[in-house]
Amino acid sequence: MDVMTAIKGRRSVRSFTDQPVDQDMLLKLLEAAVWAPSAGNGQTWRFVIVTEETMMKKLKMVSPGLLGDPPAVFVIAQDMALSKQKGGQMGPETLTKMDSAMAAQNIMLAAHAMGLGTCVIASFHPGAAAKLLDMPEQIVPTLMVTVGHPAVKPPPPKRLFEEVYWFEAYNG
Amino acid sequence: MDDKGFEDKIFGLVSYVVVSARNLLEEPARYGPFRLVDTASRLINILDEAGMSSDRLKAVRDKIEAGKYSAMGTEEEFEQFLETTVFFVVDAIDNTGD
Repeated sequence: MDVMTAIKGRRSVRSFTDQPVDQDMLLKLLEAAVWAPSAGNGQTWRFVIVTEETMMKKLKMVSPGLLGDPPAVFVIAQDMALSKQKGGQMGPETLTKMDSAMAAQNIMLAAHAMGLGTCVIASFHPGAAAKLLDMPEQIVPTLMVTVGHPAVKPPPPKRLFEEVYWFEAYNG
Repeated sequence: MDDKGFEDKIFGLVSYVVVSARNLLEEPARYGPFRLVDTASRLINILDEAGMSSDRLKAVRDKIEAGKYSAMGTEEEFEQFLETTVFFVVDAIDNTGD
């Protein structure tokens, strides 16, 4: 699948079949994630992949945005201490969010190319998720990506195009 | 479903509501009504699994499930969904199935 097809075909999937996602597929998605760009090549991201039912149930309790019953969730966390060391104040405040988002997008596009559905989630309590996942203090969850075999593929929402760009200068 | 299973499901719902309350302080405004109708749907699911639901409750849940993701669409779509759901509930008020 070429990149543009993957970009335009990806949807936010919130309904999954019961079929588990093979571990080699999850590792392939992880590989896609770590090939994302990161600020100053910091690579301060850390990933916990949740597939086990008991932990998934607990994670859902503190993640209102984690909808449906996905067989796998990537918890994308950041080492905030390392980020501050590498990126100064801007690291933990801004760069970690950008880096997590770029890793998430790589996961979602790669998953789509593999026939999987995904949804990126910011609606969770980071402290509560960190505690459940036994993360050390400096590791902070920033995003989650649910992964599974889609039960329903939502229609594409309308995209603005003509209204959102200019060449050379805004309103130019 | 035994008592422990029922309590476990209710605990999950309580946790969802409590964490939502905290997170909604900073989340988009429309997530609030979304979480409320989603909670209603989840509650009906739990009651259904425990054999304590009813046709009208299941109908309300189905109505919610069919339209709740309009929260991710336009404001008009979501408002329309909520408005029609209100009157769906109103129409079921006296329909106790007795």
